[in-house]
Amino acid sequence: MHLTPDEIELWAEGLLGAARTMHLTECSLCLAEAEQERKVLLELVALPRFAPSARFADHVMAQVKIRAPSGEF
Amino acid sequence: MVAWAKQGHEAAFRELVRRYERPVFSLLYRMVRDRALAEDLAQETFIKVLNGIKSYKPEFKFSSWIFKIANNAAIDHIRRRSIDTLSLDGAPDAQTPEAMKATAIQLDAKGETPLQEVENRELGSAIERAIGRLRPEYRACILLRHVEGYSYEEIAATLDLPLGTVKTYIHRARNELRGYLEDRRAETRGRDGP
Repeated sequence: MHLTPDEIELWAEGLLGAARTMHLTECSLCLAEAEQERKVLLELVALPRFAPSARFADHVMAQVKIRAPSGEF
Repeated sequence: MVAWAKQGHEAAFRELVRRYERPVFSLLYRMVRDRALAEDLAQETFIKVLNGIKSYKPEFKFSSWIFKIANNAAIDHIRRRSIDTLSLDGAPDAQTPEAMKATAIQLDAKGETPLQEVENRELGSAIERAIGRLRPEYRACILLRHVEGYSYEEIAATLDLPLGTVKTYIHRARNELRGYLEDRRAETRGRDGP
């Protein structure tokens, strides 16, 4: 039986059990799909995080109402 | 940190912004693909979160709460924009290629500003462009799953979607990404010759 999308994801993350992984040695269709899936996953997890502008926190804090521990703004 | 912020300590508020500004901004930037707009939406998100921190329930993951508010801000914006321009990839309920084409966004040809140059550099890779072509619902799910490392269950809770829908969106998104990237590789091979 071909691998399900969930199983292909598990394989690409190195989490698929040995029994189901064996299927890839005998099914070129699943192997090709799994390899492509792994390429996409590797690209996704390598995506960088972007930073907002340097004054971002100051702009946010200027508009936040902070109730001091005493209860006053 | 959240408990400290709830007590009204400014340093805790600043620390929460510092910790979450990059993930929140990155999600929004990839959702709306416009730096200035993503920053506005990120500000709106943090202001809502920090002004409403007393209503935060600790049984919900704090980062999930922020992402929920950020995603809602992005989706609201995309819906508002779609009234004028329609979705980039067509209406989410479009079932046929014709329907998707008929409801797809109309892009204006514009000169490139310095900010757009930055955007093109940051979001110009094949994978970023492929993500940009996904429907917003798919985009949010795939980013939370593979960039933020959320489980399917956490994504369902964050985006208020049934678990089955999240799985479907992510599988479809990955299929579409594979398709875009394969097409791109084929084009490159075609240009470079045998």
